[in-house]
Amino acid sequence: MKALPVTKILVLAVVAIIALAPTIAPAFYVTLLNYIGLYSLVALGLVLLTGVAGQTSFGQAAFVGLGAYTTAVHTTQYGWSPWLTLIVALAITLTVGYLLGLITLSMGGHYLPLATIAWGMSLYFLMGTIEQFGGFTGITGIPPVSLFGFSLEKEDHFYYFIWIVVLAALWAVANLLDSRPGRAIRALKQGTTMVEAFGVHPGRTKTAVFVIAAVLACLSGWLYAHLQRFVNPTPFGINQGIEYLFMAVIGGAVSVWGAVLGATFVTLLKTWLQDLLPKIIGEAGQFEIIVFGILLVLILQYARDGLMPFLQRFVPVAKRALPDAGDRLQHRAMPPADEPVLTVEEARKTFGGLVAVSDVTFNVNAREVVGLIGPNGAGKSTCFNLISGALEATSGSIKFMGQELIGQPASAISKLGLARTFQHVKLVATMTVVENVALGAYLRGSKGIIASALRLNKVDEAAALAEAMRQLERVGLAEHAHDAASSLPLGKQRVVEIARALASDPILLLLDEPAAGLRFAEKQQLAALIKTLKGEGVTVLLVEHDMDFVMGLVDRLVVLNFGQKLAQGLPEVVQADPAVREAYLGA
Amino acid sequence: MDATIAALLTQDGLTNGSIYCLLALALVLVFAVTRVIFVPQGEFVAFSALTLAAFEQNKLPGTVWLLLALAAVAAFADVLSRWREPKRMLRSIAGTSLPSALAALLVWGVASAQMAFSIQVLTTIAAVTAMGPAVYRLAFQPIANATVLTLLIVSVAVHFVLTGLGLLFFGAEGVRTTAFTSASFTLGSVSISGQSLLVYAFTIFLVIAMAVFFKFTLFGKALRATAANRTGARLVGISPNFAGSLSITLSAAIGAVSGLLIGPIATIYYDSGFLIGLKGFVGAIVGGLASYPIAAGGAIFVGLVESFSSFWASAYKEVIVFTLIIPVLLWRSLTTTHHEEE
Amino acid sequence: MVLRLVSAATAAMFIVSAVHAQIKVGVTVSATGPAASLGIPEKNSFELLPKTIAGQTVTYIVLDDASDTTKAVTNAKKLISEDKVDVIVGSTTTPNSLAIIDVVADGETPNISMGGSARIVDQSNPKARWVFKTPQSDSLMADAIAVHMKANGVTSIGFIGFNDAYGEGWLQEMRRSAATAGIKITTEERYNRTDASTTGQVLKLVAANPQAILIAGSGTPAATPHKELVARGFKGKIYQTHGVANSDFLRVMGKDANGALLPAGPMLVYEQLADSNPVKKVAKEYVTAYEAKFGPRSTFGGHAFDAFTLLNKAVPEALKAAKPGTKEFRVALRNALENVKDVVGVHGVFTMSPGDHNGLDNRGRMMMIIKDGKWFITK
Repeated sequence: MKALPVTKILVLAVVAIIALAPTIAPAFYVTLLNYIGLYSLVALGLVLLTGVAGQTSFGQAAFVGLGAYTTAVHTTQYGWSPWLTLIVALAITLTVGYLLGLITLSMGGHYLPLATIAWGMSLYFLMGTIEQFGGFTGITGIPPVSLFGFSLEKEDHFYYFIWIVVLAALWAVANLLDSRPGRAIRALKQGTTMVEAFGVHPGRTKTAVFVIAAVLACLSGWLYAHLQRFVNPTPFGINQGIEYLFMAVIGGAVSVWGAVLGATFVTLLKTWLQDLLPKIIGEAGQFEIIVFGILLVLILQYARDGLMPFLQRFVPVAKRALPDAGDRLQHRAMPPADEPVLTVEEARKTFGGLVAVSDVTFNVNAREVVGLIGPNGAGKSTCFNLISGALEATSGSIKFMGQELIGQPASAISKLGLARTFQHVKLVATMTVVENVALGAYLRGSKGIIASALRLNKVDEAAALAEAMRQLERVGLAEHAHDAASSLPLGKQRVVEIARALASDPILLLLDEPAAGLRFAEKQQLAALIKTLKGEGVTVLLVEHDMDFVMGLVDRLVVLNFGQKLAQGLPEVVQADPAVREAYLGA
Repeated sequence: MDATIAALLTQDGLTNGSIYCLLALALVLVFAVTRVIFVPQGEFVAFSALTLAAFEQNKLPGTVWLLLALAAVAAFADVLSRWREPKRMLRSIAGTSLPSALAALLVWGVASAQMAFSIQVLTTIAAVTAMGPAVYRLAFQPIANATVLTLLIVSVAVHFVLTGLGLLFFGAEGVRTTAFTSASFTLGSVSISGQSLLVYAFTIFLVIAMAVFFKFTLFGKALRATAANRTGARLVGISPNFAGSLSITLSAAIGAVSGLLIGPIATIYYDSGFLIGLKGFVGAIVGGLASYPIAAGGAIFVGLVESFSSFWASAYKEVIVFTLIIPVLLWRSLTTTHHEEE
Repeated sequence: MVLRLVSAATAAMFIVSAVHAQIKVGVTVSATGPAASLGIPEKNSFELLPKTIAGQTVTYIVLDDASDTTKAVTNAKKLISEDKVDVIVGSTTTPNSLAIIDVVADGETPNISMGGSARIVDQSNPKARWVFKTPQSDSLMADAIAVHMKANGVTSIGFIGFNDAYGEGWLQEMRRSAATAGIKITTEERYNRTDASTTGQVLKLVAANPQAILIAGSGTPAATPHKELVARGFKGKIYQTHGVANSDFLRVMGKDANGALLPAGPMLVYEQLADSNPVKKVAKEYVTAYEAKFGPRSTFGGHAFDAFTLLNKAVPEALKAAKPGTKEFRVALRNALENVKDVVGVHGVFTMSPGDHNGLDNRGRMMMIIKDGKWFITK
């Protein structure tokens, strides 16, 4: 990330404070900073998993326990080196995290958080019940870590080790979020339909994020065991799992530094309450949790997105330099004019007894703009979803460039060269316009999570952003490239969606009611844009309700009513058709 | 294991399941109206039993201080936020702080006069119910339209506060309250206490009452609508704040009655609420936080699994209970359709 | 009375002692969380303790560790590095006490634990040379139960305990004691502190038909299986541990407690001790002061008082070697603690040695029986 000057200075300042802390801060603050570092790692995983990807987990403490117990058992009972146990712990976490992710992430709604509580509780009681693991009483005498023969037994030595790990993790996660897979992760909250339409496999992406969060937690646990040199199940129970979530949410679960801020805030608040309350109330102990809870409620009432977004308001945001537009990505071979691109034959979709689309047949040829129109409830959107793969046809055939689409998932269909927009705009509100558009080029890049986290993706990343800029210039929104997507008016958001679809280098562009909800001037601009694209040889199928909008725009019209094809042909001819007039005017 | 033991375990599982069920129903109720996963529900149950126990020991229940604290803070919050509109301020104080303050006075009066058991029971219900409006006003009303995650975190924080206050006012040790009936019935080889039957009866009554109320009455439907659309609810004349306050007050009342019914069969501690609440939550989630009968079924299922696993492998009871939940959740998740939020 | 006199003396001596270096006692107790019923009487007891030892001012810095091991370690580190205490008392539970062994050893600060397990002061761990403890070890208490069982012809028992460190420690000790006494454990069951019901476990216990059942729980939660056993008509003896030695347990149990047996420290029933027993006088003073301020006695508070008793003996010795607040003082205090002899506390008589950092003997435990809501020493 080309960091902004102010942010860069702030980050450097924080790093400098961390580096100098053991020499200037009282010894006890080094102790606290050690725990803050450990908590930050877990909270960072939650920022990614819960804040960014939208999957709430109460079970992270169990992964911390997995890391801590793996090393505790193997170093004390079998005399293994902590470095060896680190590898074993990571291997176990990868396996367990992958399997748990596979099972639980397919759950939607509130099932997932409860499932995380469930396996969190299971693992906690399992740790306590197995006698070889020291039971509820715990394991003592865990050896300290040595690095190149230098023992990190002293707290202030281990401190540097912990914080190097934390800063490296922050760097890697920040890199990841600002990359091709990162944009896919950030888009997950928008729902699966949109990401699938650009070739992202949501299940796999979620599982990957889940595993990353688990690995960060495991790492924290491994460090915890060697810092504390004692483990028992208490710190890995559901209460701690809740506390980690507190840290992520209080810090502001959308930015990586929110994790550090949340961990720092919660830890310091508890310490200060422990110091202050006896002085105010005159009694130690029982008031801390009460005041802590009240303060949490108040903070969330005044800064409901957490502290980081609250603080960011005071940091001037300098614009990043716009990437240069460029055409460096591979193009696919486009079919010659008039060759059939899409052939729909007798497509049928039933929902229970209801026939939504009844044996509809039509085709779209290369470099043609076809309108699929009909009054409300005519089956246009269902038909559109059959083509884009969001729904599966009951019978019939839908061929795209000679390939059967029925039975293929949306992500596979988008690979063939079909790109779409959405009737209800699905842009990622937390990403800039150019990032949103770059998501469209997802399938044209290849760098994965590890390469992106380690910043080995510079060439690919620059090419993707250049392509996004090129498409923004093409649709005339280049000056909005760094604006938040949610800040644009609806008409422009629709155009951003078109740019995003174009970034995938599609053979066929599917537009889902692009004019819906637009004002007259916006409609005119949109129509002009589609005409321009048509002039550039783009093949378009647009589903529309508004007949006036499509009249001057399309080469051919297909009219649906009650799920059946009513008419098709040149716009003027179709418009004159009495059956069409009747359907539209209800006469 | 013979048939007698199986029958005894089933009965035990049903009793525990009913307890979880009472919590599950309240959780669904609150969620359906406010989108809050109401973690502190268990505290209402515990406070109710602890209050009655204090009455029975001729002690002043710590509930008095709890209610006074809630009343004072809620009044303070109202004054702070609404001093420009004295009328609305007074109305809000009358609706939230006044009930708590009156309930505190009532508890104090009943405790010092050492009144009859029936009056102590009614006072307990009144006292715990009166906490509802204040808890809603203080914790949830200011952020009623936040995300479910934020509301959940606030809910957990409120749970911390109430548990902390519970320890402070009631102490760490548990209580058993007097049973409403000492009758017991024999069914084959199993004897069932009258108190357990009361628990079953109240549970069944609530499942039916809530399902009917929310499905068939206009008011119930309107309450549910506030969760989906706060502005819409206001348009049809229901204040979302009123709906939210009412739902938490109702759940406090359910908690109060539950506490009194459970108090004689189980020892209740200041922190009993969390684990039974968690198992009630399991039931509520199995019901998709929407269906009362399925939530009840889920809660009973948890009770039965728990009872049988405590016989077979008591050390692994929680491991078994929470591991078995996962496939159930998976099955529920796959068989209910999710509408992607547009 | 004596305590009040002492505190009056404290006030008078404050000006004098201000010129001396003061002694700092750091305390970490589980005043909240699952072990709160143990930690609260301990915390209360520190309010009663004299504010001087051998003419030196003593300040107590009491912290809550919420029954959490991480918090206990943080507290210990804070007490050592921030407050520079001379000794740490605590924590309440066995896991918390085990967790801070490394910290006190690294900080070269003596530690008096109030945890139950003998493992805390196991001197085969070199770091535990800094650690002492006041409560009777689970092993000592388990032996008492086994001896009592054997004497009463019990050869088979069932066990039900908390599914936590308390129940686990007892199960391990009871397995050992029972094996020594030739007693068979038929069933080992576990339950959670806040479980509403233990019917399943009790049915299994009763089905194995043991002659006696031991319940290893602390405070009122230990009543849950006990009441269930009575309700199921279990005819054998029911043993409890010293964890239930408070009045709340008796209140919740009501008449169901009749005939229950348990080992406990002498302070619980100091009224019944012979006048010749040295513990009687000390326990009377402590219990009277405690009950006047906080209500009915709990044996756990006594462990905190005994920690003071040990310090009261060891500090004057250590003062001869160095000033408080120095490493030399802490080393001297450790050495003095290791050498205390025949110090009378409320739970018995302590005689420490390099191999024994608990120092209690059979005088620190007696078998009691509950009758009509009261504790009685068995003959």
